[in-house]
Amino acid sequence: MVVHLRPALGYLKKNMSGRLLIHSPKLSKGMIFTAFVDRPAWQGNRSLTNTLLAMKLTILLLTTAALQVTASGRAQTVTFSGKDVPLEKVFSIVEQQTGYVVFFDYGTLEAARPVTLQVRDLPLTNFLDEALRGQPFGYSIRKTTIFITKLPVAAPVTAPPLEINTAAVIDIHGRVTDSLGNPMAGASVTVKGVARGVETDANGVFELKGVTEGATLMVSYTGYQSRQYKTRPGQPLVIVLSRSTSPLDEIVVIAYGTTTQRTSTGNVSTVKSEDIEKQPVDNPLLALEGRVPGLYISQATGVPGSAVTVRIEGQNSIAQGNDPLYVIDGVPYSSKLIPDLGQSGILGLSGGAWGNPLSFINPAAIDNIEVLKDADATAIYGSRAANGAILITTKKGKAGQTKVNIDIQNGWGKATRFLPLMNTKQYLAMRREAFRNANQSPGPTDYDLNGAWDTTRSTDWQKVLLGGTAQYADGQASVSGGAGNTTFFVGLGYHRETTVFPGDLSDQNGSVHFNIGHFTSNRKFHVQFSGDYLADHNNLIANDLTNTAVRLAPDAPALHNPDGSLNWAQYNGVSTWINPLAYLNSAYDAKTNNLNSSLEATYQVLPGLELKTSLGYSNLQKNTIVIGPLTAIAPERRPSSNRSSSFGYTTITSWNAEPWLTYKHRINKGQLETLIGTTFLETNSNFLYLSGIGYNSDLVLKDIRSAASVTAQSSVASLYHYNAVFGRINYNWLNKYIFSFNARRDGSSRFGPSNELHNFESGAMAWVFSNEDFLSRQPGFLSFGKLRASYGTTGNDQIGDYGFLSLYSTPLNVLTGYQGSPVLYPQGLPNPYLQWEETKKLQFGLDLGFFKDRVLVNANYYRNRSSNQLLSYKLPNITGFGSIRENFPATIQNSGWEISLTSKNFESRGFSWSTNFNITIQQNKLLSFPNLAQSSYAYSYEVGKPITAARFFHGLGVDPTTGFYIVADAKGNATSNPSFGPDYTALVNTAPKYYGGLENTVGYRGFELDFLFQFVRQKAAYSYTLGNQPGRFASSALGGLLGNQPVWVLSRWQKPGDIAPIQMFTTTFNNANTIGTTSDMTVSDASFIRLKNVALSWQLPAKWLRAAHLEGIRLFVHGQNLLTFTKFKGMDPESQSVLSTPPLRIVTFGIHVGL
Amino acid sequence: MKSIYKNLSGKAMVCLCCLFFASGIFSSCKKFIQVAAPYTSINASNVYSNDATAASVLSGVYAQMARELIPNAELSGISIQCAFSADDLSAILPSADANYYPYYTNSLTNANSFPWSSAYNFIFITNAAIEGLTASSSLTPAVKQQLIAEAKFFRAFCYFYAVNLFGDVPMPLSTDYKANALLPRTPKAQVYQQILKDLTEAQAALSPSYLKSDAFTPYTTSPERVRPTKWAAAALLARAYLFTGDYANAEAEATTVIGNPMFSLPALNSVFKMNSTETIWALQPVRTGTASNTGEGSFFILPATGPSGTVQPAFLSDTLLNSFEANDQRKTNWIASVTPILPGNVTYYYPFKYKIGAVPAPTQEYSMVLRLAEQYLIRAEARAQQGNISGSQADLNAVRARAGLPSTTAGDKGSLLAAIVHERQVELFTEWGDRWFTLKRTGTIDAVMTQAAPVKGGTWSSYKALYPIPVNELLTDPNLVQNTGY
Repeated sequence: MVVHLRPALGYLKKNMSGRLLIHSPKLSKGMIFTAFVDRPAWQGNRSLTNTLLAMKLTILLLTTAALQVTASGRAQTVTFSGKDVPLEKVFSIVEQQTGYVVFFDYGTLEAARPVTLQVRDLPLTNFLDEALRGQPFGYSIRKTTIFITKLPVAAPVTAPPLEINTAAVIDIHGRVTDSLGNPMAGASVTVKGVARGVETDANGVFELKGVTEGATLMVSYTGYQSRQYKTRPGQPLVIVLSRSTSPLDEIVVIAYGTTTQRTSTGNVSTVKSEDIEKQPVDNPLLALEGRVPGLYISQATGVPGSAVTVRIEGQNSIAQGNDPLYVIDGVPYSSKLIPDLGQSGILGLSGGAWGNPLSFINPAAIDNIEVLKDADATAIYGSRAANGAILITTKKGKAGQTKVNIDIQNGWGKATRFLPLMNTKQYLAMRREAFRNANQSPGPTDYDLNGAWDTTRSTDWQKVLLGGTAQYADGQASVSGGAGNTTFFVGLGYHRETTVFPGDLSDQNGSVHFNIGHFTSNRKFHVQFSGDYLADHNNLIANDLTNTAVRLAPDAPALHNPDGSLNWAQYNGVSTWINPLAYLNSAYDAKTNNLNSSLEATYQVLPGLELKTSLGYSNLQKNTIVIGPLTAIAPERRPSSNRSSSFGYTTITSWNAEPWLTYKHRINKGQLETLIGTTFLETNSNFLYLSGIGYNSDLVLKDIRSAASVTAQSSVASLYHYNAVFGRINYNWLNKYIFSFNARRDGSSRFGPSNELHNFESGAMAWVFSNEDFLSRQPGFLSFGKLRASYGTTGNDQIGDYGFLSLYSTPLNVLTGYQGSPVLYPQGLPNPYLQWEETKKLQFGLDLGFFKDRVLVNANYYRNRSSNQLLSYKLPNITGFGSIRENFPATIQNSGWEISLTSKNFESRGFSWSTNFNITIQQNKLLSFPNLAQSSYAYSYEVGKPITAARFFHGLGVDPTTGFYIVADAKGNATSNPSFGPDYTALVNTAPKYYGGLENTVGYRGFELDFLFQFVRQKAAYSYTLGNQPGRFASSALGGLLGNQPVWVLSRWQKPGDIAPIQMFTTTFNNANTIGTTSDMTVSDASFIRLKNVALSWQLPAKWLRAAHLEGIRLFVHGQNLLTFTKFKGMDPESQSVLSTPPLRIVTFGIHVGL
Repeated sequence: MKSIYKNLSGKAMVCLCCLFFASGIFSSCKKFIQVAAPYTSINASNVYSNDATAASVLSGVYAQMARELIPNAELSGISIQCAFSADDLSAILPSADANYYPYYTNSLTNANSFPWSSAYNFIFITNAAIEGLTASSSLTPAVKQQLIAEAKFFRAFCYFYAVNLFGDVPMPLSTDYKANALLPRTPKAQVYQQILKDLTEAQAALSPSYLKSDAFTPYTTSPERVRPTKWAAAALLARAYLFTGDYANAEAEATTVIGNPMFSLPALNSVFKMNSTETIWALQPVRTGTASNTGEGSFFILPATGPSGTVQPAFLSDTLLNSFEANDQRKTNWIASVTPILPGNVTYYYPFKYKIGAVPAPTQEYSMVLRLAEQYLIRAEARAQQGNISGSQADLNAVRARAGLPSTTAGDKGSLLAAIVHERQVELFTEWGDRWFTLKRTGTIDAVMTQAAPVKGGTWSSYKALYPIPVNELLTDPNLVQNTGY
């Protein structure tokens, strides 16, 4: 583990001289208490009195403290970078760099622990503080000699034991800072045993009047170790809090604020930049796979820019959106793109649109991602958060020394899996048997057999078309830092990925991320301004070649003629196929520019009362061109064909403004935090789809002006307005009992005028039972224990805009207008009562920490019930239309368990090993659906069964007498002519039953190895289980594509009496095949265990770097989707498609340089 | 500043700030979340606020009727469906065909939903238009009057077909889906009352000249006869009176059309040309390329390979072919044939009223909805029923003369009525279900269909004269009752 030093070191350095530092290491926990007896910032000019007082205090402390330190007259600094460096070695480095001599007794160093530090130009004393942190040593400096002394083992002293007089009543005032001297605003200072307390102001200053002398002050701050301090009269206190080392105290971002796992009442999971950076992915969502309990992510295809499906705690909605709410730096971000040109299907579908908008966010710009799941965490997002929320926080600058980081990696990608397909011998045997069975002989278009194609050729088209190596290149550079009140971060990124297809196809993007933070000098006003801009150019092809690769007959001709030109294999003057390489000419070209910006301003009105405003603006522009040149068409058809091209223009612009107030206040022994705010949000979505036809050259296809005729195919213009008031009350009683209430009143333009406003609310509580006296007095192996419960309502407003309006638009196929004028036609029945779907979430959680939080267990049980489903509700046609979109009291329940376990298994002498494990067991059930049998969903769902289940015929195998598939009808009788719908008796749930991940991190000296296994238990209905009409052939030149089959179809029926899983080969179309592929015979186990990610890195030894003035160099190898263990018969158990490229196995080599 | 803070307690500040926020929020919230409709489509509340968009709603109805190349899903599909149900057409159809086979073999079940859904879809739009137009105060009065009248005319048109196809039908006259979803069937007579009321009101308000797409400006030369006029209302009114046995009014309304010099009987091959003088109201094709002309032409005009599959399965029945009198020019001008080599040199005759099929030709033909010849036949029948033999003969002969036939030999009411039925058969075949309705209206359906149904591979029962109500309607509207027999 690399400890990054707190910022503002450089800023401290210049104040070093003349400062007296007193160190009193807290032995048990290795903390350092530092009292700065310096001119406090909040006081006037230093007076003589103050100096004298300070000296008095110094003398007092010197007599009691274990060691003394005098500040060095010279500002010596140390630069150090190393992992698990023996202390002895550290001292020699200090000697080298400072010219000081370090005195120590070798015998005392037996108890020393190795040092892991990465610092640059750190003042000597600060460096020693860091190096000796947690060690049983103190130090003192005399002239140029550093004396290391062993500290006496003392009782855990929390503060200098001061002389306690009679219980006088005194006023206490002081200042709370972090270990770098930065003031800590909002820290809580309470008097132990008394219901009294205050918050520190913007300068970290507090004042407590009328406190009994000798009473104990408790000083605490989120993410820092709490300190206790005995009160005494006189001097202002300077209290320094140091960062907590427990993962329970790490900051967790939640809606409109932060918390920690220790005090959180909700179910929130965090993935940090370290884990994201280890993964060579182009979409940050893919970096979450297998890492977050309750979150299931699947990638649609292996082409860059692929669609990604995200489900948090299952599928809540039958017919509407199931995507979570994305919030980047407090600003909502689109969860889906606008459905684009039909041809861009190569990217796959997510949320009803091609591709995924998160592809346009640079993963390297992300500091952490929080996944919000339960009602407590999400109810404050109201109508938008029924499907959970994913909060993305981008990287910010930190005060202190300027950091320059450069990461460069290069790598290669291959398709993870192929289908085992027949070779030519097997294929031709199948075809001939099919002709025999059908009593037919090859016809003029059976090119594979009739002499048109060379039947001695055998090609595995998967190798030819999908067997290529994708190139992966990624470079990131950032500069960050800050001084005084201002911090900054500037990052640049470049990313390029190619495909496994032949041809020069690539997706590349360049991005910039910046952040500026500034405090006013009185620290009352703070502003953070962040921006991300990414320009992406995705240059693919209109069609995924996977379908061709799988179905093309193995004896299909060579791609090229001897002269190098494309081979169209003409037979009797007619092309016998569409050469797969010709598809490369039909380019899909998408250029996307994405800007996200946010500004967060905070003003401290009064101590504890803050006014915050978050402003955001985002703009996504995507211009897509798909061209249809003549070169993609068989040569003999070109004279009668037209060139065409399609143009898609998408613009999604959105702004939001969210002012809110937070107020922290002590009530009794508890800390009350209240929040109230309002949201204004507008999203403008526009899309225009133009097509041009009749160009006179392939070269001008991207110029719409060159088209002979241009048609506007479709246009979308929608406006979404959203307004809400929200609030939260959080009461924390002594870190033992924590209560939280959230409420939101939402108004949305998506809903009918009669239902524009609605309330959402939640309540939660947590009981930290490990803080109860009966447990905390005897700290055993249980170091932390918390029980949580939450309940509340959230809404789903992903129903599209204008659903409530009766819209009139031009009907399809009316191209000339009527009497030359455009015409209008109503699109459906308006429903002014349209409303959101509602999800009631109930959760129970248990958080446990063992062995000083080295082992953390987190378990959640959830039960989410979604009702008010927005469905297409059947009406008689006499109402004008057969249906209306209406909220319907169908209820869906998602329930399950989420368990995660984090363990630091071993950490000593340069070796460390930690393990993370998570598992989610989920169940989906349709609880009720009034009048299901009469609805249009009668054949889709069944009450008591999952809505994620697909319905099929129940297959009874192959009829031994006829050789064709038979299935059971609704009464269970075997039939070869079932009724589609009513006879669907088999129900197969294709949603994962359970899933999770297991991650291990092993570090030794400068090496670190991290590997993550993802596991999923699921079934899939995979139509290729039965082949695709085995025995039939259709060339791509004939419009269809039938041919090769997976080898397992060889176990087919051959003669009466055979019992076989596959029906007879035949060249004729037969209904039995359709019935078979609509049956549960296609269902197979699609469970898999995947070595999702491996990251191996080596940190170069510090001494090598010093000469080059480098902070750190790390060499690394990253791998994604490396191994897949599955029984799944198809290509990839995650994407489960024969139409799209499987996700790629990517291996990259790279270097990280820190300057 | 500091002193102000000190004077205000923290709590007071919080309250103050909350108040400040709350006041701002609640005043602006409601307004903020109400957004205007997108510019890519028009909202029900603003479509009727402007002459042009209001007119395009009614144009949309006509365009919707005309847009399908093979209009089996639309109301206009009854030209095909009813011709199949009656004895106009033969077909080569697989029994799996869902669009035509049940109509052809008189084996409809409650799974067949056309043209019910199309008719009620149109009725919803006319109801919405009447409500929206009536409420609008920003339209030019003449436009508003014309459009309301067009909507009423079209609503009557839809109900006319609904009531003749299904018998008693539910009769929604508003857009309130909650109320409409529970409507029972309204007795046929009451539906006719509404039809007559709508048509009378429409006739009074509609423009006497053909209007342009703005529903305001008359054409100065060569009018496009594609929007309803006063005369279209009169023509439909004449038919409605005839069907309800109000012969005096039927005669009167037909007379207003026949007497109008705008209309005359052109040569046979000109009748179905766009804007022919025969046209009272037609639908303009709205597509391009091979769909630039009528759906009827695309469906009926057979390729050299003859009828096939489910796309163009129809050809004329022997019954119809044999019912033409010798020298009837309609048989040579309105019927064509193909003799495909396979299978076995059979000649198929098909309707050739429309001369242009699915070929990329400039638009030359419009889909005829109301035409003058029918008005002559309506008046002939109305006059015969009222005992005006010579007047009836004159009207009948006007139609026969154009077909190159001699004057009728029928001299009394009974034989005249029979002659008119026959004349309708050969004049109006495959047009808007005329044969099917005539058989039903004249009570001859059982006799005719008992002969015709077995030829088509079906069987006949009297109940089949009414189409069944689609099953979805019965499941979703508890107050609907199926026609007996189904």
